[in-house]
Amino acid sequence: MPPSTDLLQGTLDLLILKTLALEPMHGWGVALRIQQISKDVLQIGQGSLYPALHRLEYKGWIQSDWGSSENNRRAKFYSLTRTGRKQLQAELQTWERLSTAIALVLEASTS
Amino acid sequence: MREFLTRLRFFFSRARHGALDEEFQFHLEQATQANVVAGMTPEEARRQARIAFGGIERAREETYAQRPGWWMETVLQDVRYALRGFRRNPLFTITVIATLALGIGATTAVFSVVGPILFRSLPYPHADRLVSVGLVHALQREPFMLGGFYYNWKDNQKPFEALTSQAYGTKECDLTQGNPAQLSCIGVEANFLPALGIAPLIGRDFLPEENRPNGPHVAIISYQLWVSHFNRDPGILNRLVEMDDKPVRVVGVLPQDFELPNLEPVNVLLPGEWDEAAQRKANIGGVPMQAFARLKPGVSIEQARSQLEPLFLSTLSFAPPLMRKQIFLSVRSMRDFQMHDVHLMAWVLLGAVLAVLLIACANIASLFLARGAARERELAVRSVLGASRARLIRQTLTEAFLLALAGAIAGCALAEILLHVFIAIAPDGIVFLSKARLDLRIILFTAFLSLFCAVLFGLVPSLQKPRAAALAARSKNSGAHAAVRQGLVVSQIAISMILLSGAMLLLRSFWNLQEQNLGMQTRHVLTATVSLSRRYATGQKQMQFYQQAELALRRLPGIAAVGLSDSLPPGGWENGDSSGLTAIAGEPRPTDGASGPIEWRWVTPDYFQALDIPIIRGKNFTEEQRNSNGHFMILSKLLASRMFPRKNAIGKSIKPRPDDPWYVVVGVADNVKNSGLASQDKPEYYRLRRNFVADWDPNSWGLHSVIILETALPPAAIAPWVRSQIIHIDPTALVDITPLNQQLNKLAARPRFETMLLGFFAFTGLLMAIIGLYGVISFVATQRTQEIGVRMALGASRFNILRLILWEGVRLIALGGVVGLVAALALSRVLKSLLFSISPYDPVSFIEVALLLTLVALMATLIPARSAMNVDPVVALRHE
Repeated sequence: MPPSTDLLQGTLDLLILKTLALEPMHGWGVALRIQQISKDVLQIGQGSLYPALHRLEYKGWIQSDWGSSENNRRAKFYSLTRTGRKQLQAELQTWERLSTAIALVLEASTS
Repeated sequence: MREFLTRLRFFFSRARHGALDEEFQFHLEQATQANVVAGMTPEEARRQARIAFGGIERAREETYAQRPGWWMETVLQDVRYALRGFRRNPLFTITVIATLALGIGATTAVFSVVGPILFRSLPYPHADRLVSVGLVHALQREPFMLGGFYYNWKDNQKPFEALTSQAYGTKECDLTQGNPAQLSCIGVEANFLPALGIAPLIGRDFLPEENRPNGPHVAIISYQLWVSHFNRDPGILNRLVEMDDKPVRVVGVLPQDFELPNLEPVNVLLPGEWDEAAQRKANIGGVPMQAFARLKPGVSIEQARSQLEPLFLSTLSFAPPLMRKQIFLSVRSMRDFQMHDVHLMAWVLLGAVLAVLLIACANIASLFLARGAARERELAVRSVLGASRARLIRQTLTEAFLLALAGAIAGCALAEILLHVFIAIAPDGIVFLSKARLDLRIILFTAFLSLFCAVLFGLVPSLQKPRAAALAARSKNSGAHAAVRQGLVVSQIAISMILLSGAMLLLRSFWNLQEQNLGMQTRHVLTATVSLSRRYATGQKQMQFYQQAELALRRLPGIAAVGLSDSLPPGGWENGDSSGLTAIAGEPRPTDGASGPIEWRWVTPDYFQALDIPIIRGKNFTEEQRNSNGHFMILSKLLASRMFPRKNAIGKSIKPRPDDPWYVVVGVADNVKNSGLASQDKPEYYRLRRNFVADWDPNSWGLHSVIILETALPPAAIAPWVRSQIIHIDPTALVDITPLNQQLNKLAARPRFETMLLGFFAFTGLLMAIIGLYGVISFVATQRTQEIGVRMALGASRFNILRLILWEGVRLIALGGVVGLVAALALSRVLKSLLFSISPYDPVSFIEVALLLTLVALMATLIPARSAMNVDPVVALRHE
């Protein structure tokens, strides 16, 4: 198993929001999707996934509904709310600003 | 806002355990399935999925912790847990709450009384530069000013930015218009308000030209009068208002918080209207007034006094020589001036109550330390079960906070009660007392201080990393706590030693005061103080009234003697004659013994019998002398021995004052306490008041005389008869009938009050210190139960064990006692001026206190020591 990378504080929220922006999904799906897209680099521990999902729900950025999964099993599906969508935009911008800034610093120090 | 609503919604929806578990279950199944697909056996797949998931319980806890109401829930949980703990340990809880209540209650009550006296901010800008300037008479404390001095000083003074004056005391004046009311008015100089730094709220100040005799009638009214009678109407300015049937123009309104420097209530300021020219000519005297000044910046009170001294001396040289020795210059800060001599007592009380608060805090700290030590294991267990350090700390904080809250509430109730008690038992003349209210800031401060003590010492155990040893069933508690607690107990004992010695000194001083020989009998004496109306403004009428009264009272059954006097010992300051005796027949000039302050009274022959004052030489006055043409006097032993040392005073002729006739000395009476309870006796003489108009001065004390009755009957029975006899002569006469010893009680009210208060605090402090000591010793004893068992098994006798535990206590008592004794000796000097005929280093008091403290403290040690002694060694060892 590839080593898991510690996620920056607050980055997990962003990843979850981004993943859920595509379609409503259950917790397992979210974890799987992030792992797949990041090519197994980002593995989300369940110990932090569910607290994060619930935290986002309490904040009102995502909402949950019970539905049935692909294999007809009852599962809790999370989807983005309207505030969640706005929040995602805001967080994406912040992230871009931050990563550009970090990139600038790193390039400057290597050259 | 939206977010808040969501939070609220989730707070009210109950936790859904089932839902979360189902979610986790689903996750696990998916993971297992994925693993199966990846080629694992179902068994292995499930195992791997579980491993990947990690601790389910922890995930669940952390998810719960995300709930918005979670914080609140844990607080409630903490509170419930704390309350359970309190119920399990009621002794601890009650002791803490009682200690807190006493500490907070006593401090708050005393501070509410003393605070305004010591720390009130005066309602004048830069009040620290305001001083009272004046003259003090040797026998009085209240400074006064005389017009003659004042204008002279005003022209020549240097230290003050401004010097101003007000009339000596307010006078009654009537608002005679519209809604009539009796008001109190005072005349002030034109620069009065500016010198105090006060500007009228609306309107203007007095003008200099209004401040002369027969100037225009103008007034500045108080804010309260403006509100109550003029409806806050700004149109009041320049309106004419009728006062004492004269039109007066209102020119200004005072600010709401205005007060006169002497704190007298006032409604109206009027121009002083002193005739400056006439005052300057009055070379001694002039109108009495009170003067205040604002120091120039940077000038201290001492500097001002020394700069003023030459001026004072030069003006003094106009005064008659005998007066010169009697008056002194007085420059005092405004606060001092307002508070008279309450100041010292206020500081002493404040010190006492702070000491009590310290003891209380030490007690709380000690209690929490003990509890912390006892709970070390519990905390360690909780910590192992997964409680975070923060959670444990919060638990301790919650407990401390709950106790402090309960203590503060109980303390407030106690403070309110104490304050009422203070007001009820306090003597007159303590400023602001009747207006004292509980000071919320002090409640908060003391509650916070107690909370701080509790938190500081309660946190120690939860801050430490729980030791593995604590989990082992039989742990020894750490010795460090015990050392701190012992230190606390030592300081408690030391502080209560200080408090107790202070209280003991005051108590013994009060005892001396009560038990001193007054030189007269006070039981079986009834006094009737009569005030006649103005209709008796001639000596003739007064004489007739009192003759009739004497005659009527003599006829009452059960009355042995009826004396008349103008005043009563041990009072007599009203009549003090400061100028000494003028002339003695046969001597070129009065001897030294005849100068200085001499007390004197008008009396009738029965005066000496009624008060049982023995005539030690010569004879008492006789009834015949009352109708004879001669003038007769009796000297006190002190005066006789001063004026005629080694000579017989009987038969000498004395002219007391320049325009008096010659008086013949017929006897010498024993000394009587005659200048208050606590002061030195003064020499005294008695003049016989004869049945001649010449002896009844219409201007002076004839309107107020005292009838002294000696009777064996209870006062309550005889008083109505006496009253009815006097009313029968004149229904308008005001009579105040009191037993003499009741009057004396009133004189002793102040020292009694002081003694009671300090005694109360000393007792409270002692009680708390003893509780602390008891706690520590019994803690030590229980802690060493096992050791005691071993010792006994090895052959130690019960007596050895008793000694072992007692020694723990004795060490603390001895150390605390010695430290306290040294501190008390160093501090008792402060009390000096409050003590009567007892030295602040009175050895008896200190020995008594040391004995008392040791005895009580030993008792507190003996109880736990005895129970340690009775430990059954078998049980103690099985304890293991």
